[in-house]
Amino acid sequence: MSETIDLGLLLVDHQLLDSEDRRCGNVDELVLEGGPGERLEVVAILSGPGAWRGRAGRTGRIAAWLSGGERVRVPWEEVDTIAAHVKLRKRAETLGLGRGDDRLRRYMEKIPGANR
Amino acid sequence: MRTFSSFLGRAVVTESGRHFGKCRDLRASLGRGRPSVEAVVVGRRGWLEHLGISRPSGPRKDSIPWEAVVRLDGDRIVVRDGTEPE
Amino acid sequence: MKVFQIALGILAAIGGFVDIGDLVFNVSAGATFGYQLLWVVVIGVIGIIVYSEMCGRVAAVSGKAVFDAVRERLGFRTSIAALVSAQVVNLMTLTAEIGGVAICLQLLSGLPYRSLILIAGVSLAIVVWVTSFNWIERIFGYGGLCLLVFAVAAVKLHPVWSAIGHGFVPHMQTQNPLLYAYFAVGLLGAAMTPYEVYFYSSGGVEERWGPKDLGLNKANAMIGYGLGGFLSFALMIVGGSLFLGKGIEPQFLGSITLGAEVPLGQIGLLLAIVGILFAVGGAAIDTLFAGAYNLAQFLGWEWGRYRHPSGAPRFTLTWLVLLLLALGAVMTGVDPVQLTEYAVIFSAVALPLTYIPILLVANDRAYMRQYVNGRLANVLGLV
Repeated sequence: MSETIDLGLLLVDHQLLDSEDRRCGNVDELVLEGGPGERLEVVAILSGPGAWRGRAGRTGRIAAWLSGGERVRVPWEEVDTIAAHVKLRKRAETLGLGRGDDRLRRYMEKIPGANR
Repeated sequence: MRTFSSFLGRAVVTESGRHFGKCRDLRASLGRGRPSVEAVVVGRRGWLEHLGISRPSGPRKDSIPWEAVVRLDGDRIVVRDGTEPE
Repeated sequence: MKVFQIALGILAAIGGFVDIGDLVFNVSAGATFGYQLLWVVVIGVIGIIVYSEMCGRVAAVSGKAVFDAVRERLGFRTSIAALVSAQVVNLMTLTAEIGGVAICLQLLSGLPYRSLILIAGVSLAIVVWVTSFNWIERIFGYGGLCLLVFAVAAVKLHPVWSAIGHGFVPHMQTQNPLLYAYFAVGLLGAAMTPYEVYFYSSGGVEERWGPKDLGLNKANAMIGYGLGGFLSFALMIVGGSLFLGKGIEPQFLGSITLGAEVPLGQIGLLLAIVGILFAVGGAAIDTLFAGAYNLAQFLGWEWGRYRHPSGAPRFTLTWLVLLLLALGAVMTGVDPVQLTEYAVIFSAVALPLTYIPILLVANDRAYMRQYVNGRLANVLGLV
């Protein structure tokens, strides 16, 4: 009972959701292990502008540089389901995702009306 | 460590030089555990098909089985002679 | 009760349909070519109805908004190009709209333009920060209904109705085909504004539309935008009746309001200014959020108009920064009407980049029903 998917079509560039359905980045790149003559497997997802360096040549590198070049590696075992979005098994903080939002939130909460 | 995008755009050729087009995707089987790559997808999806305006006539032969790959060579994916797209 | 809600939604859509691009281009087109370009507006309205409905359907069935879809479908390089061009156009439009709001405030209060820019910007920020989005839509939508004064004005100006009927038939009699084409493109660009599509689809995802909401989606799109189209007709008719052949180019928003003042006096003028204020202000908010949506969706951040600001901090910061940039731009003294023309033409040029991905996604995986031919007609109409 296994399903076949085209990785570029149904996995790469899709939204990541954590276990609480919080948006925490996109699938920016996949890490594979293996090679000709043996199994080739997806072992991890990379998320973050830093993962753009390998894509789209110079445009990717410039975009990565402009955005800070951070990236997070999410081992495949953390993936729960793949549907319209890629759902993960744990919360974003545990996996190191969504840190930008968390950092900014600490400042934003101090402004009146931000927590309506 | 190999990345997915390092496969994209590579020319897929047989050892004797027959061209199948460029790799545009990898087909993998999900199941338990990690996805395992089954095939290299070549060629271009027709634009009109993509827009849903025309339908592909019959099953498209656009995948080269991963077992047929013998080596990754610079910017090419080299497969055994005699391989046919499925 | 449900019907009442739908009616309210439609009213808000009518009031929100017209933005500064529509105002400028419809009246100018009327002033330059009389009623000849009415048929172009019809195409534009049909276009936006079809594409809004498509986006709504995509949002309901797949849970994705437009830029999610762009990111997934078009490959990295193309979607960066789409993002950058969308943001540039957005920012230009936003700047023009804030300028428009400031002008309206000036017409109402006589205070200096510069300070009014700040007032406009700060008020918009406060309104968005504090008010729930449902209320924002209502306030600005109903306020925009004041623009109906132009419909009344159009009738009161006793236009030649047969000439108007003629205008709905595609034809072209002019010594200036280039100018005609320019206006045609502008009218299409003004009617089919990308930011509205981004805004609408993001809202659909946030409200968690499901397949059962599809009927509502279609009705909303068709009736709301259809009636909004009437306002565009009214604007062109007014422009044609009042300004054609008199050599008056409505370069100033003030001249546009003349369109209501001449037939209807002071009340007409007041309603026109208030209507423009709310319609353009509402459009400014939509544009602002569309810009923030695009960036957040492209980067996978949390986003939403219904969340409180700290629920989506980077998204909030994005729209604040965009607002500041636009305010800065308006402060440089750029003429909003001129800027509008550039913004509309640019967005018309970027239309394929916006709408082709929607087409791709809407055709992918068999959604509810496939009506390919309708879309084919629109791709042609677009490009």
